[in-house]
Formats: sequence, C-alpha cells, structure tokens
Amino acid sequence: MALLEVDNLSIGYNTKKGYLKAVEKVSFDLEAGASLGFVGESGCGKTTIGMALMGLLPPNGSVKEGRILFEGKNTLEMTDEELRKIRWREMAMIFQAAMNALNPVQRVGNQIAEAILVHDPSVEKDQAMDQVENLFRLVGIPLDRLRDYPHQYSGGMKQRAVIAMALACRPKLIIADEPTTALDVIVQDQILGEIKELQKEFDLSIIFISHDISIVAHMCDHIGVMYAGQLVECGPREGVFESPAHPYTKALLSSFPTVTGKRSDLIPIPGETPNLVVPPHGCRFCDRCSGPEASCSTEPPQWVEIAPGHRALCCRC
Amino acid sequence: MELRKYITKRIIQIIIIFFVILTVLFLLFRLAPGDPVSMMVDPDMTQEDAEMLIVQLGLEQPLGMQYLIYLKNFFTGHFGFSFHYGDPVVDIIWDRLPNTVLLFTTSIILSALVGVFLGKIASWHKGKKVDSIMTIGALVTHTVFLPWLALILIWIFAYKFGWFPINGMISEEVWLDPEAGFISRALDVMYHMVLPLSTLFLIHFGAYLLIMRSSMLETLKEDYILTARAKGLEEKVIRDHHAAPNAALPVVTSVGLSLAFSINGGALTETVFTWPGIGRELVSSVSQNDYPLAQACFLMIAGVVLISNLVVDVLYAYLDPRIRY
Repeated sequence: MALLEVDNLSIGYNTKKGYLKAVEKVSFDLEAGASLGFVGESGCGKTTIGMALMGLLPPNGSVKEGRILFEGKNTLEMTDEELRKIRWREMAMIFQAAMNALNPVQRVGNQIAEAILVHDPSVEKDQAMDQVENLFRLVGIPLDRLRDYPHQYSGGMKQRAVIAMALACRPKLIIADEPTTALDVIVQDQILGEIKELQKEFDLSIIFISHDISIVAHMCDHIGVMYAGQLVECGPREGVFESPAHPYTKALLSSFPTVTGKRSDLIPIPGETPNLVVPPHGCRFCDRCSGPEASCSTEPPQWVEIAPGHRALCCRC
Repeated sequence: MELRKYITKRIIQIIIIFFVILTVLFLLFRLAPGDPVSMMVDPDMTQEDAEMLIVQLGLEQPLGMQYLIYLKNFFTGHFGFSFHYGDPVVDIIWDRLPNTVLLFTTSIILSALVGVFLGKIASWHKGKKVDSIMTIGALVTHTVFLPWLALILIWIFAYKFGWFPINGMISEEVWLDPEAGFISRALDVMYHMVLPLSTLFLIHFGAYLLIMRSSMLETLKEDYILTARAKGLEEKVIRDHHAAPNAALPVVTSVGLSLAFSINGGALTETVFTWPGIGRELVSSVSQNDYPLAQACFLMIAGVVLISNLVVDVLYAYLDPRIRY
C-alpha cells in the first residue's frame, strides 16, 4: 500500500467571479521514502493540492470530489480533531513563504518545541528543547540561536528553522511548497542538498512543489507536471525529462535554461492559461499547443500510458 | 541591554519634548487675551496697589526675563500662588494629581483590557451575531457625546435609582469618622468612582475593541498562523498564543496615541462629576485667567501623558522583540 494515494481529487474556490476549479481530477500515488515533484506555472493548482493534503484549504476553498488516502485512511472524511492530530506528526509542511512562517514575537526554539509538545503530551519541556537542539544541529543552525527571535535570523536560517520545525515530529511525509524561492541560489543549493540528505536519513516521503523545473529535477524521483488545474503528465524523472510526451512538458523543458546541459535557444510558450471559472471543454492546453488536432478543442483528453508508470493527458501522444 | 538603550533614548526624547511644551506654554499664556491683573484687582484698589501687585507677580519684566524666571522657578519647584485660591500652586497640584491619575489609569487599563479581549472574540466570530453586536455596541458607545453619556448615567444610576453618588470623590461622614480604616475609605472612593469610570470606560473601550478586531483579522491572514494551524495546534491556542499577542501590538500603539486625547474626556468627566482632579482644575483655572495654576495644570497633564507614553513604549518593547533587539 502506498503511503499516500490521491484519487480523482477536484478542488475549487468560491470567488467573486464564480466557482474557480483550481484542481481537477488529479490522481497520484506516493510510496514511503519516495519523492514526487509537482511543477507548473503560477496558478496551476500545485499549492492547492499541498494545502488540501494538509487539510488547510482557506475558508472559500473546498474539495469537490475525490479521496486522499493517507496510510489507507481518507483524510477528507476525518473530523477536524482527527486531522489536527495527524498534522505535523504524520505529515508536515515547509511553507512557500518561509520568511513569514515563524511567529515574530516568539523565540524560534520555543516555536519548534511547541510542535513536539502538542503531539506528545508525555514529553517534558526540557526534553522537547533537547530535541530542538538536535534538530538545529541537523539543519546546521548554531545552538546559541535557539533563544533568538525570527527577525534576528537571516533568510537562510529562517528556512533552516522551518525545515527543522517540519522534522520536529518525525513525520512520514513532508510537503515542501517552494521552500527555497525567496533565497539566493547559493543558499538555495545548500538547503536543497540538506533536504535531500535528511530525506535519505529519515526515509521521508517528500512532495516537492515548485515552478522551477530544474529544482524538481534535482530533488525528486517522480515528476508531476501540472497545467491549469490538471495533472498533464506524470512519471519517473528520467521518463518525463528524457522523453516528455505532453506538449506542455516539452514546451516547459525548452523554456528553461540549463547551466550544464547543451546550449539551446529558450522557447517561450505563447498565449495565456485558460480561465478556470469556465475552463475549456476540450484540452486546456489546446490554444497554446504547437500542433493541436481538430478534436483537441472539443474532446476532453484521455490518459495515455507512455511507458510503465509514465502517463500523459493528451490525445496526440 | 538593548532594552535599556531603547528606554534611555526614549527618556531623552521625553525630556526634550517636555522642554518644548514648557516653552510653548509660557508663550501661549503670555499671548492669550485677557488680563490676569484685572481679574485679581479689586475695584476699590488704588492704582498704586495694582502696580505693586504687577511687580509682585513679575509681570512688569520683559518677556525674555519672565521666561528665565519661569524656567528657574520651574526647576526649583516654585510655581507661585494661585490667583484664585491664593494657595501655593504646588499644594493644589499635589492635592489633585493623584485623583486624576487614579481615574485616568484605571479607565485606560480597564478599557484596553476589555477592548482587547472583546475585539479578539469578535474577530474570531467574524460576520456572526456576536461580532455584529459587539461592533455596533462599540461604535455606539465610542461615538456618543461624552458629557451627554455622563449626564445620562447620573440621571439613571444616581438620580433615578440612587445607587451611586451624584458627584464628588468622597463622603464626608466616612472621612471624618476617625474609626474608618483604610479599607472603608478606599471602598468609599471606589464607590464614588463607579460612574465617572464607567463613562470613560464606555467611551474608550469601543475604540480598542475595533482596533483589536481589525488587527486580529489581519493577523489571522499571516503565514505564521497557517504554520500554527499546520502544526496541529488547537484553535484556541492559535487564537490566544499566536494571533492575539501580535494583534495586540497596534492596540498598544493606539493606547499611547489616545492618551493625550483621553485628557479632554478626563477634564469633561471630572467637571461633570465634580471629581477633584487636574482636569477640572484646568478648566476652571483657564476660565478664571488663573495663570500660575493653569500653567501648572497643563504641565502636569503634559507630564502625565509623556510618562504614560513612556510606559506604553516600554510595554511595546516588552511585547514586540523586534523593538527590543
């Protein structure tokens, strides 16, 4: 049994312009110890999936259909209290806005200890602080910064503190939503390296959400490409990068520069993402696709298996 | 250590501000219309006597000299004699100041605490009935005309029901009774304080409630609240330990800012309830052209406001580590 099974998940937001279908019919599995990266441009629904997994959708957001099975149990059917108890202990999150993810008026060490204490009442405050010390060692923050406040930390240290916090309860799954976007590339590289090592050390499952395809390629062994609320291609890293099937994946790969790869011209993707309040009936990428067929704009695309475990939502594949 | 530096800096600023106030007050009184001498001068007084009085009061000196004398007197604690009472101003001030401070600080602390607490509850039930009732209630009590509110309270609770005294701060029978101990005297003052305190409380708590409510609503959108929720904390813990301490910061600032304005209300309240405080003394001394007393009252009020502001600043630094470190 996979650690996490997401089945036909659709999520929407009530907005002034109408019901926005942010995520539609997304299905994927995640094995224990595996890492899955979601990549796609802003507004494609990556973060919404992360929030739904944590049960933290904003008040105007709701799951319309589907199941989220965490260790076989549907989290969508849990009560708030049941969900609260598995949050952080079973699955933790590294937030997109790590710069503001720490409470400015509390000491960093205490904020991390709080996560430990709330999930294990048998732990004493001192023991929790000892555990926080270990976490600080693990992520490389000097121990004398334990009693500092967040504003005394640099951006990279805040990010490390947030990672330490995510590890505090030894969760099975960590959802990392753009964890390094606000950092400069050098710190970003260090932190990504640390996340990768920690993943191995603790046999963590990671869902990595990023708009940066090179980071996802570096971090994850499975890739999910998202476009306009849909998962359009999903498979092992090598499969998706070496033989991309969906036209959007192809376009995405050729619109990113690589440092080490061969020199080639960047090709921007023309057009704009479709309106998700009234999404097109057919393929959502149709308008921007390089070679659509006549049926593309009228018929919803079907999943096609490219290779074992590698599938794409495109009728041209 | 940083906190000490911060407080020192604030104290220096306060001393400078106080100097400015001192000078402005001096000029203000010299420029104000109305002749104090004519107020004091008896129609039967001879021209000579009147001139002697002017010399006695130092009013024949040039303005610059008067200013120097004024500063010297201030620093040596000589505030002169009240034209109206004939008593030393210092005695009058020391007699009135504690009464004002008592009423003033109690009402500020009470309305801030209640306002913060209710604002927190209102924001938590945003859009629900509790929220609407509190918000509307706060708006009504905050915008009502203070003397009117004071008179209504007197009319209902002192006149109609006779539950509280109509005015004053003490009952003579309690204070003249040698048997009465500290507790019964304190209770007597508290009993007299209920209505003026309620007036000030009703006027002020609404502002704090509204500020706290909107500040809470902003804070609840912050990322660290999402973190707290993701950590699996209980909603109550999120509200009280993560949101409220951050949301209360703007309230503390506004307490500091509103202190000066509360003085107006304080003077009105003291006048309506004949509470023997600085505010009432200020109003009457100004209308009687009682220079020395009015000047001293203004200075005292400025001092009270500045010191309360310092307290608020220190409190702010204590609550917000970003200021402290």
